[in-house]
Amino acid sequence: MLILSLSSVTKTFGGLVAVAGVTFNVERGQIVGLIGPNGAGKTTIFNLITGSIKPDDGRIFFSGRSINGLKPHRVVSLGVARTFQTIRLFPKLTVLDNVLSGRHCRLNSGVIASFLRLPSQRQEEKLVLKRAMEELEFVGLAEAWSVPAGSLAHGDQRKLEIARALATEPKLLILDEPAGGMNDTETEFLAGLVREIRDRDITVTLIEHDMGFVMRVCQRILVMENGSLIAQGAPLEIQSDPKVIEAYLGQEED
Amino acid sequence: MSPDCPEPSDRKVPKDSPESKAPFSPSSARAKAKGPIALAIGCLVFLLAPFILAGLKIQATPYILDLLSMVGLYALLALSLNVILGLGGMFHMGHAAFFAMGAYVTANLNLTYGWPILATLPAAALAAGLMALIVAFPVIHLRGDYLLIVTIGIVEIVKIALTNDIFGLTGGPNGLIGISRPTLFGYRLSRPQDFFYLIWIMVALTVILFHWLENSRFGRALKYIKEDAVAAEGMGVNATAYKLMAFVIGAAWAGMAGTIFASKMRTISPDSFTFGESVVMFTIVILGGSGNQKGVILGAFLVICLPELFRDFQDMRLLAYGAALVAMMIFRPQGLWPPKAVQYNLPSPYKEKYPREGSC
Ligand SMILES: Nc1ncnc2c1ncn2[C@@H]1O[C@H](COP(=O)(O)OP(=O)(O)OP(=O)(O)O)[C@@H](O)[C@H]1O
Ligand SMILES: [Mg+2]
Repeated sequence: MLILSLSSVTKTFGGLVAVAGVTFNVERGQIVGLIGPNGAGKTTIFNLITGSIKPDDGRIFFSGRSINGLKPHRVVSLGVARTFQTIRLFPKLTVLDNVLSGRHCRLNSGVIASFLRLPSQRQEEKLVLKRAMEELEFVGLAEAWSVPAGSLAHGDQRKLEIARALATEPKLLILDEPAGGMNDTETEFLAGLVREIRDRDITVTLIEHDMGFVMRVCQRILVMENGSLIAQGAPLEIQSDPKVIEAYLGQEED
Repeated sequence: MSPDCPEPSDRKVPKDSPESKAPFSPSSARAKAKGPIALAIGCLVFLLAPFILAGLKIQATPYILDLLSMVGLYALLALSLNVILGLGGMFHMGHAAFFAMGAYVTANLNLTYGWPILATLPAAALAAGLMALIVAFPVIHLRGDYLLIVTIGIVEIVKIALTNDIFGLTGGPNGLIGISRPTLFGYRLSRPQDFFYLIWIMVALTVILFHWLENSRFGRALKYIKEDAVAAEGMGVNATAYKLMAFVIGAAWAGMAGTIFASKMRTISPDSFTFGESVVMFTIVILGGSGNQKGVILGAFLVICLPELFRDFQDMRLLAYGAALVAMMIFRPQGLWPPKAVQYNLPSPYKEKYPREGSC
């Protein structure tokens, strides 16, 4: 079953073609890697999927439904959550508050219920704390629930972003360079975490420059260069694809 | 001269309360118990002020009570602005426009249709809220200083409309005269102590309701938007809708403050709803501690009482506000009494398993 499908998606910034007619599908339950040299258009693809920018052309389907031009908050409530390449937490708010932000779209209390502290609202607040703590335990940050997010170490901030995204109950989780700035131990932990997320029946799509990580974790890899998709397949196929070696691995030797 | 004036503020703001400490410092159980008790005693003394002042046979009692009512009214206005500016982080300097809307709606309903004052409260709230929805909708996406300029424009337009007797409803530059006093259970509120109680009870109710609002899904959404609107949207918060709601709630509250103001003054004119008034409200929130209701009330005491102490320098008022704002922005941008981070009461078993950082 397809969970995500892009067909001929194009995005230009001024004269620059950041994404040029990209078409690909993501199967439900997979871990898919999106790789390519700097500036290839990977983050732009993610921004298009999550609605923070709109495509000039082409169509994006999530779970069989067109999500072209939907606002980011609508896309989240449909079941797509993301993390950011440059960490984008709420640094002054507590770790727990950050995870609660992810729960927002799954809660129902409106202004009136909040204003009058109706019983339904109080019950919901109690449950939401429990659910948020579960996500913090899942990523191993439960002990730090009461400190400001900005005071966490870099690697922990990346994990917190994942917990916050998971709190939205996504069907598709999009990670933009989750191992960026992590040491080997943390990267190892992250690899296990990503597999556990997949085992929760959440499809994962990730961008990563750490090739070892991508080859180990992903079942399928998409390769981009200059806004176009130049190859896709299993890790072993990708590693031996001449186009990829030329575009990507060749560049690393520079 | 009124030497007693700042006193209640001192009592209401005990220096050793846990809130005045650094946001994440652990507070011992004793200090935790002491803060609210001191606050409760302070509030009680404050509420008995009319009796205490009368008992001490202080000559200026009516004047002092009037001043304290004024402080309460501005506290009400600043608390409502705090929802927009303090929680939502929207630079809104046109709050006097919504205050005016409430006052003129009340005056018209009372003078023309003979509505009792308190019955006009919901109408004033509704009208001001609706006005906020209409004027804020096209500009709500503007950021920082752009929004500031637009909201200054709004309050200026409203003032000009009032002066020009728009729809024949505002009485032009002279305003509207002869608004009734409020009656409660057949009792007509007219003495200074009556308004003192009416206004401060409203302040207390406002603090409780807004405290609940702040610590809810709605309040959290505003905090996320204030911190980083893009990240908030990325996590599923509809930023535009929440910003609009904050605007409408804040405006509706200012409208109700307008009702009280109209019936306290009995006469309203455009002079009471100037840009300068908006600046006063803005200053109270920023000075006191944007986002912290206690700080906002402290700010109301300071901004309204201090000029009374220096009456001879009335002309310098706006200059002093400006200087105070500039000084705050440089030396203490978070205000005198900034909010502390919310600490949730975790449900079991998490509460036992993960003690709050620093509390053990
Ligand atoms: N909002 C924007 N405005 C203008 N140009 C942009 C914008 N976003 C991306 N670009 C440009 O589009 C191209 C693709 O950028 P993108 O961020 O998608 O690359 P990437 O593959 O994620 O690279 P990296 O690995 O460095 O993160 C780059 O040339 C970039 O400068
Ligand atoms: Mg990128």
